[in-house]
Amino acid sequence: MISQIPEEYLFDLESEQRVLSSMMHSEDACIEAYNILTESDFYSPRNALLFELSCSLFVREVRPTLVEVLKEGHNLGLFTNPRDIEELKYIAEHYIDDENIKYWIDKVKDKSRLRKFVDFLKTSSEILIEQQGTDVEQILMSAEEKLTNLTALEIDDHVDTPADMANLGYNEVERRFLRYKTINEVNKGVIPLDGLSTGFDNLNHITLGYKPGDLIILGAQTGHGKTAFALHTSKAVAVDSKKNVLYLNTEMSRQQIALRWGSILSGIEHERIRAGSINETELSIILNAYSRLRNSGFYSYPCPNLTPEKTVSIARKFKAQKNIELMIIDYIGRMDKYDPRIPEWQMLEQIVKTQKILAQNLNMAVMCLVQLNADGTMQGARRMKNECDLMLKLTPIPREDFELSEEIKKYLNPNYYLIIEKNRDGRSGVSIPIVFDLQKQIMKDAERIS
Amino acid sequence: MTLDERRKKVYAESVSLIADMGFRDKLSIEEMNFLLNLLDLVVIKQEQPGLIQTLKNWVSTNEGSEIDEIIKATLLATDFNDEESIEQCLQLVTELLENRE
Repeated sequence: MISQIPEEYLFDLESEQRVLSSMMHSEDACIEAYNILTESDFYSPRNALLFELSCSLFVREVRPTLVEVLKEGHNLGLFTNPRDIEELKYIAEHYIDDENIKYWIDKVKDKSRLRKFVDFLKTSSEILIEQQGTDVEQILMSAEEKLTNLTALEIDDHVDTPADMANLGYNEVERRFLRYKTINEVNKGVIPLDGLSTGFDNLNHITLGYKPGDLIILGAQTGHGKTAFALHTSKAVAVDSKKNVLYLNTEMSRQQIALRWGSILSGIEHERIRAGSINETELSIILNAYSRLRNSGFYSYPCPNLTPEKTVSIARKFKAQKNIELMIIDYIGRMDKYDPRIPEWQMLEQIVKTQKILAQNLNMAVMCLVQLNADGTMQGARRMKNECDLMLKLTPIPREDFELSEEIKKYLNPNYYLIIEKNRDGRSGVSIPIVFDLQKQIMKDAERIS
Repeated sequence: MTLDERRKKVYAESVSLIADMGFRDKLSIEEMNFLLNLLDLVVIKQEQPGLIQTLKNWVSTNEGSEIDEIIKATLLATDFNDEESIEQCLQLVTELLENRE
């Protein structure tokens, strides 16, 4: 009966060619196709090969135009016949506009799943015929597992068995045990991080760093260090640790961001750098400072019209091409709404949810900066808190704390608190005193007076 | 057919023609790659108008002299995915053209 299924029902060459053609014409199509499809989703081996070539170019940041695909194929000895050119030309001319790309990708994916289903049916019927003595319960259980995997979304298609979970748990405990031993024997008490450095020793100690899949929310009032915090984090991760960071800024120009780096890395006041009121020695210091930025993993994407969909697309691209480990969005209140009619809190909730899913899917940390109200509260805070793994607030230390708090007197010149409102993996409700030099745009842990 | 569609068709036809000549050994691999890169530069990337103008000047005055051969070798050796390489090529070709005059 399975053999009666018409072969042409199991593939759609037109959809495959339209996807390939779109990849040749549009970067957005490349991002979508690269993230959703694999070579095995293509029925035609030729189309699968073209998809592989296009993806390999895309990952190397070469736009897979008709010319580049042709050259790549020729260099690899895959295209040597004039017939190959005609085939490629035919595909290139079947371009569709970007708005329809998802439709064609879905069609390719659906046919691929259908073929897998037919394979499942064939295998199941073969098992029935060949292994007639096997336990029926076992056959059904095995078939159910395979079928469940076929229907599940790809992101969720792995189920941990009890054995998986036990192995994972033991390996994790063993890893931590060995790390603890190393801390005591080699590192002399300094805890190695699980994730990316936060740029603050005290915060590193409590969180063990920003981990892949983490969504971090940092709230601060206007003019109280959101961008400075973002760039401080970028410095710790991209400049000091040489890991790749993507920084999306919705309100500052490229020049403004570049000038801020001059100050952060040289320690020279931002106002003086902006005005150009520096001497030749300082100019030389700044030149050296920028050479550190040049060799770093900091990728900046100023984007005044940022939307949640766009962040997904940009993040996927940079993950594929630059293997970014952290994306910072500065800041989400300025992002364009999905729908102008929805209230602000709902929009923020949607954005934060999208970013959490993105962090998990791309296995990287995402940091969202949000604006605090004048009274220090955060719009939609409860919902955001539910979604995030780490929620931080940056606020000036209240005057009364300097007078009344014995704890704060133990630190040298602190002026801001970094408050841990939520920490999924550890302690929360902690206020870390820090020093924020507004002029130099520099942040650091406040030193404890011994 | 819209202008954009026509442009894409001309592009695909040109790629096909150049590659066909390359595959049939009527062009060397270097010549084929150069022409294909140039096509992408003009039609897809729409970059380097300075280089295109310089090439036009060269083509209209090419006499097959020794300097023309050097210019051709320079062009064929240029990495068209590297802006710095294109800039250097442009500078060198401009100087060679000036020397020839």
